[in-house]
Amino acid sequence: MSARPTVVVTGAGVLSPLGDSPEALHAALAEGRSGLKPIELFPVDGLGDGLKAGEIRPFEPRDYLGERNLRPIDRTSRLLLSAAQRALDESGWTPELRAGREIGLVLGTTFCSVKTISEFDRRNLQLGPSYASPFDFANSVINAAAGQAAIWHGLRGLNSTISAGEASGLLAISYAAQQIRSGRASALLAGGAEEICYESFLGHQRAGRLGASAPVPFDARRDGFALAEGAGLLVLEEGGEARARGAQVLAEVLGHGSAFDPDGTPEGAARALARAVRIALEDAGTGPEEIDALSAAANGSVTGDRAEAAAIAEVFGGRAGELPVTAVKSMLGEALGASGGFQAVALLGTLNTGILPGILGLERTEEGFPLTGASAATRQVAVRRALLTALGTDGHACAVVLGAAAGGS
Amino acid sequence: MDIRIAVTGLGWVTPIGAGREEVWEGLLAGRSGFAPVESFDTRLFNSHLGAEVRGFHPEPFTRRQDPATLGRASLLAIAAARMALEDAGIEPGEDPSWKPERAGVAMGTTSGEPLEVEKLDDLLLAGESEKVGAEFISNYPCHQIATHVAREFGFAGVNVMIPAACAAGNYALGHALDTLRSGRADLMLAGGADAFSRITYTGFSRLGAIAPERCQPFDRNRKGMIPGEGAAVLVLEPLERARARGARIYAELAGYGLSCDAHHMTAAHPEGDGAARAMERALADAGARPEEVSYISAHGTGTPTNDRLEVLAVRRVFGEALPRIPMSSIKSMIGHTMGAASAIEAAVCALAVAGDLVPPTMNLEEPEEADLDFVPNTPRELPVRIAMNNAYAFGGNNASVIFRKVEN
Amino acid sequence: MSQDTAEIRDRIKQIIANVSGLDPKRIGDEARLRDELKLDSLSLLEIGVDVDLAYKLELPDERYKEIDSIPDMVSLVQGRLSEMRPQAV
Repeated sequence: MSARPTVVVTGAGVLSPLGDSPEALHAALAEGRSGLKPIELFPVDGLGDGLKAGEIRPFEPRDYLGERNLRPIDRTSRLLLSAAQRALDESGWTPELRAGREIGLVLGTTFCSVKTISEFDRRNLQLGPSYASPFDFANSVINAAAGQAAIWHGLRGLNSTISAGEASGLLAISYAAQQIRSGRASALLAGGAEEICYESFLGHQRAGRLGASAPVPFDARRDGFALAEGAGLLVLEEGGEARARGAQVLAEVLGHGSAFDPDGTPEGAARALARAVRIALEDAGTGPEEIDALSAAANGSVTGDRAEAAAIAEVFGGRAGELPVTAVKSMLGEALGASGGFQAVALLGTLNTGILPGILGLERTEEGFPLTGASAATRQVAVRRALLTALGTDGHACAVVLGAAAGGS
Repeated sequence: MDIRIAVTGLGWVTPIGAGREEVWEGLLAGRSGFAPVESFDTRLFNSHLGAEVRGFHPEPFTRRQDPATLGRASLLAIAAARMALEDAGIEPGEDPSWKPERAGVAMGTTSGEPLEVEKLDDLLLAGESEKVGAEFISNYPCHQIATHVAREFGFAGVNVMIPAACAAGNYALGHALDTLRSGRADLMLAGGADAFSRITYTGFSRLGAIAPERCQPFDRNRKGMIPGEGAAVLVLEPLERARARGARIYAELAGYGLSCDAHHMTAAHPEGDGAARAMERALADAGARPEEVSYISAHGTGTPTNDRLEVLAVRRVFGEALPRIPMSSIKSMIGHTMGAASAIEAAVCALAVAGDLVPPTMNLEEPEEADLDFVPNTPRELPVRIAMNNAYAFGGNNASVIFRKVEN
Repeated sequence: MSQDTAEIRDRIKQIIANVSGLDPKRIGDEARLRDELKLDSLSLLEIGVDVDLAYKLELPDERYKEIDSIPDMVSLVQGRLSEMRPQAV
């Protein structure tokens, strides 16, 4: 690990069902509060009863963004712009600094906004192409939110959108780390954004992915996940430059890895995640025994959670049972592209406070479940190095090793 | 010193044909891919021309998966990928040293699978939401284009979709380059795909961007772009490996550069600022100077604004060297194929470098810039040592990619 | 007639306000759309669509591209409405 540039975290911003700051989010998770509520953002007639989701409401973008015109900007972009504002504020990237130096954005998202593209199309069908909305068209492309954020905040650095389902957020962080290490960028906002909407909810429900009664990660009763929304961003910078500008250093991205399951089977998924984890650990120069905690991707998916556990067991061997494990989606739900961002931002709180949130609702795991370090109880864990994992329903696997800032936590 | 990465295969499905020879010969011959739109009714629109891929049959190419269950952009991408692998002489799984976990896919797109959301919308407007099935969430997300390609060939390495709109192909190529240089893969399929759709057509029509009759990049009388569809995939691997297995090497993928205008969602920076930075970074990454570039494959959509600002940007970077550097736009023949565009144009650059031959800008009657060489209407033979591929997208996403001749 | 003009002008200002976030009370009666109000091309398109929809004018795009001021827009709307109105006996 010679002269490779380091990638440090100098700030974070989040809009989540449990709060709009990293501190508030972590505190809520530590208290075991659920961000899943009855759905109010769209009509649920015909979709079922008692449906819950991780909605962000109330959401008043002006609280974060001031009085500039928001009409051309849809919900996904508003969530992203708000989280980005917070991240920039927290890391000291003032408008003056942004005018003189480049900071970019790498954004993970599955849809950007399926609602916007669908509404654009429906209005065209109902009123004719002359009455299609130009604003909606501009927001229908999947890189729209990243573009809107660049314009709003003057982010003149590189701007990339990464789509890989539930793994988008962690993959965006990986991509950003790679860009900084290769010298293509020295500062990047990295994470994910996703809105919840009728179209996305309907689609996931029809595919049988949503948990009707028990969206509880790793629990034997689990029957799928609860959908959620939000935006979560880390501010990543090249270590030397961050210190030179006097930035606070909250953590370091030590390593990352990704892989894919082309077979589309639970065994294939486990293999892919195991590979991603191994690559990340090797990249970080860290053995499994040096990982103090795992922030799992588990969201209540019957096969996904099992595959993830199997992957961790394979890599960690005998240590898998002792590894402290959290699964924040037990409280936040599955926010697709934003999830990786949520996991990363929440972990900063753990690195800072030594408090690892429990897995809300976890009562009983299935027979042979290897990760006996998973529990509903919040606990104290001194974390110097943590592993974050993502496992998408369509086969994407990603792992990131996050370390406490040099000097310990 | 970075590991050098080679282009060893290419495949594409375009409005003027499919497969390396057919399309390359078509481009050199100035073949037009424009015709009245067939896939939906354009009666209510001001324009009726499109560059659709006609007569595409996915079955010969999609063998491991059922084509009936995949979206159109995925099918186009798989076809391009299969052609590319055959072109590279690679049969995944056949070679005993084949390591699927070291083979990855990076693709770009603008809209992903818009036809799938159109199906959803048709059902919703008909009050038939109960007919929406599991296929929507399986088919619509754009990342499925990359996953379907990987599933077709058993690629278990890096897998990512970079939906950077009309510059996406270049973004995907760049990411593949970084992945290979960092030793995280031994083989990458990289490219882009997009399917023709009423959504995309309506959008560009609504912006007033579609030319009523002809696509004339860089012409004084140009009136706009013409939407198209297609896919292109390039096979990338370390140069040393390519040489060791005796592969045909088209060119080296020598570098890339990205930038963001941070200016406007659908209009480029008025001084070509971002575009210039992307070019400069690509050149720096490739260790090349502007005057060493032999050919530029332009973004050249044919809209009054894009072409003007693009010329401004290349002048900034190339200065006095520019008049000596041929710069052509194949969008004059195949239209704007969205996320596939820069991937198709990248394949053109690889072929140009390999064959010392560049395609023309067709329909060029009165070049707006008298001193520049847009390779009007006829292809040109010339030594192509370094080729640059430029692409600019909504959201101010700019990307330039450099190809260099490999001396043996 | 001046009642019509004022009503139309106010509605247009409201539409511009909705699209641009500007305060309708601060949009002058003679305001120039690009130079004074700084409306960009995408916003002008959106405004044209909304005006056309509001009054069901069914005018082609080119007519809106020529509009550069509030008075121009008001005239456009009034002119078109007259064309569409059945002639009074």
